[in-house]
Amino acid sequence: MGATEAEAYVQKARTIRGEFSEAIENFRTVESIEKNLRVALGKKTAMYSTSILDEGEISKAAAKAVKIAKVAPEDPHWKHMNKKFGKASAEGYYDSALENLDYQEVVETLVSAINRMKSYDARVRPTRGFVTTYVSNVSIANSYNDSTERRETGIGAWMRTKAEDNGMKGTGTEHQQARFWKEINFDDLAVKAAEKAVKFLKAKPISSGKMSVIIRNQIFANILGVILSGPINADWVQKGRSPLSNKLGNQIASENINIVDDGIMHGGWRTKPFDDEGYPTQRTLVIEKGILKNYLYNMYTALKDNVKSTGNAQRPYYWMTPEPQPNNLIMKPGEASPEDIIHDTKTGIYIEDTIGEWLSNPVSGNLNATVTHGYLVKNGELAEPIKGVIISGNFYELLQKGIETIGNDLRNSMHNYAPTVKLAPLTIAGK
Amino acid sequence: MEKQEEERKTLQLEKILDKAVGLGASYADIRYQDYDFELITVENKALKSYSSRRLSGVGIRVAIKGAIGFASTSDLRRSSLERTLGNAVKAAKSIKSEKKPFSATKINETNVKLPIQTNPIDVSPEKKVSITLEANKAAWISDEIKSAITNLGLSSDARLFISSEGANVRVETSLVGLQHQSVAKVNGVMERVPYSESMCAGFEFIQSKDWNSFTADISDLAIEAARSKTPPPGTYPVVVDPEILGVVLHEAFGHASEGDLVFTGESVLHNKLGVQLASESVTIVDEGMIEGGYFYPFDDEGTKKERTVILENGFLKRYIHDRHSALQFLVDSTGNGRAQDFESMPIVRQTNTYLQPRDHKLEELIEDIDFGIYVREKGWTGGQVEPGMGTFTFNVGPSKIIRNGEVAETVREVVIGGSILETLKTVDAVGKDLKIVTNVFGGCGKGGQRASVGIGGPHVRVRKMTVGGR
Repeated sequence: MGATEAEAYVQKARTIRGEFSEAIENFRTVESIEKNLRVALGKKTAMYSTSILDEGEISKAAAKAVKIAKVAPEDPHWKHMNKKFGKASAEGYYDSALENLDYQEVVETLVSAINRMKSYDARVRPTRGFVTTYVSNVSIANSYNDSTERRETGIGAWMRTKAEDNGMKGTGTEHQQARFWKEINFDDLAVKAAEKAVKFLKAKPISSGKMSVIIRNQIFANILGVILSGPINADWVQKGRSPLSNKLGNQIASENINIVDDGIMHGGWRTKPFDDEGYPTQRTLVIEKGILKNYLYNMYTALKDNVKSTGNAQRPYYWMTPEPQPNNLIMKPGEASPEDIIHDTKTGIYIEDTIGEWLSNPVSGNLNATVTHGYLVKNGELAEPIKGVIISGNFYELLQKGIETIGNDLRNSMHNYAPTVKLAPLTIAGK
Repeated sequence: MEKQEEERKTLQLEKILDKAVGLGASYADIRYQDYDFELITVENKALKSYSSRRLSGVGIRVAIKGAIGFASTSDLRRSSLERTLGNAVKAAKSIKSEKKPFSATKINETNVKLPIQTNPIDVSPEKKVSITLEANKAAWISDEIKSAITNLGLSSDARLFISSEGANVRVETSLVGLQHQSVAKVNGVMERVPYSESMCAGFEFIQSKDWNSFTADISDLAIEAARSKTPPPGTYPVVVDPEILGVVLHEAFGHASEGDLVFTGESVLHNKLGVQLASESVTIVDEGMIEGGYFYPFDDEGTKKERTVILENGFLKRYIHDRHSALQFLVDSTGNGRAQDFESMPIVRQTNTYLQPRDHKLEELIEDIDFGIYVREKGWTGGQVEPGMGTFTFNVGPSKIIRNGEVAETVREVVIGGSILETLKTVDAVGKDLKIVTNVFGGCGKGGQRASVGIGGPHVRVRKMTVGGR
């Protein structure tokens, strides 16, 4: 049809989702076959996607993609697609037990978790929760006669409880994502969610001020991902949108900061042998001892900068272009246990959970989050529970001189991994 | 969309319904959807991507002994449809339930189309690329602009709902819009301002607007924001723009009024029917069809979406429901059973949620504030709510300080937060304007599903709002 290059991306997936409150509410199974075709006519590109299976649809898709590409303006930076596929030796991204799980085992596990929440304390009820498991098969083929395939599994569990006592209300939420069915400890999540709801019955806002802030690992992992994923993306850098442009080799953080993107770590949420362009994944140093070492590349941005792809091409959805995105973004843990960090803090707040941290601004570095669950720290111990205050600071300034202690308790929130950290005093907007 | 009708007939979906009943289902429904979406992205004056997507498939829901099972497939072959039905039946049978599944509802047979002039998917790719490119180029108003991204989003959605009760409801709609973000750098400070405008309409909406001045204005604001300071943190009186009011109400109050969240006790509005929650000037409505909002005449359970008054003159009147949550409360569904697509099951969702206007002019809201903030909508990036306690947080656009009753300098990085039931009590004046908006690029998220919604209201004054800053 006139295309000089073509790449077909096919994702076959099966998702099972169960939702519950005080009992299991429903189950659903979604089976999908999603097909995406990317074509280039010289330096003009386009893509077309469809979920429709019939045979005519594929040639219709090709015709439509070519039609769009014909009218697209030339992209002077376009060189070519990834011609040669490869695989890194990644492990721990497929669990046959998860693929072959039957409803009955999921039901029993959830019923047990629900009962743990209910029996923890008479004031607690599970108000919402779900478990989602998926098995996905991605195959990629190109007009250079290469093809490749990967099969992966994943499971996400999320649950929330509410405690009520004399008009006071407290909530508790826990979540975990993993590649293997057995990695999720439902009972443990259930007990923690119930415990949290009870502890926060009496939580109150505090007055505005400035205080040391300790942030729990999963929350800091979210913040890390929100702020850094864009700025270390080579596309943002090339397009002038990244505050980290022209900073390779510069000291952008204090020496205790080490951040890597690891696509091959065992069992990582986004661990896989190759990215969404069929390029092998790898371990890439992002910040080493505070020095910015690398940006993350897909094929297009790598060819533009005359470097090799780092295997970070990711399609947010199957119908979107592969963009550089972290595989597993990890802030390396330090030595201190979270207990030590609290113990060494005279006054401050410990943040258990927040909302809105994902709205922090990666361009300006403005970090803000509303604390839904926190504690005052007094003389090295957790004191009164607090809620409803907004913390603000600048992430890039914090990186340089504000991350005082780094914990040893690495944990993930999706594909972002971080330990608990203690930050220099931040602004707190309260009552 | 006659083609779709044909396809559906060859699928013989009614036979699957019959088969479901034969397998022991006391109720079954099938949703067939045909959806087209195009996203054209121009970045820094060059076309970055043109993605076109077609989604079609079938979702089957069954109730067996009170338990609900669901399964979907995009493989429309007969054998696949039967396997999908089997999965739904298996899922329902694995759950033990004593509840009845659904409330009774009026059985509708209808076919409704949003009136449009030009189907956006049929317009030539050249035309669409050219509008997006021109709009992007217009954003480069000075050297201080460092990056500009423009998206054109076009969708067309046809949904058919049939049930074992005899319902047959088909709704066809189209949603289009343009989104732009400019990044400015002034004296080492980088700021971004994103904003978008969408409408349930055909391509004529895209052609009717001056997108070049739309993007240039966004660039202006990004430069102004990069030059300005952050506000002093604390709790202040504020005046809020309609979109901000709308999104806060939708997220912090509207979700809390959703019957499923009320039933499980997750909602802060649990056990609050008949209680006064706001001043008498506050009336909050959820309505399926309203100017500027999302076109939603029937829900994904075939129920007509009428006007639902949730809060009337400050008093909580009713919750919103799908057929499942309506049964728990022994009321009728309010037509709020919505599914993202055929792969998702309907759950209780808002449609167009807004606060009803009253009688104040904007100047009157501002004039008796000594020190406060005029919270602006252009450039807002989003928000989140903890529904159990009603705690909310929103990142709003570059805003204005109000000093001695007058609008003063711009402030950036403004975050507002609070607890919805306390904040509603401090809404002390409601404007007379009304603006409702929808969005082709985003929507509301709940339970892993997105839905297009409408949000809005007039300008209002809130006596106490926590404002974050540095």
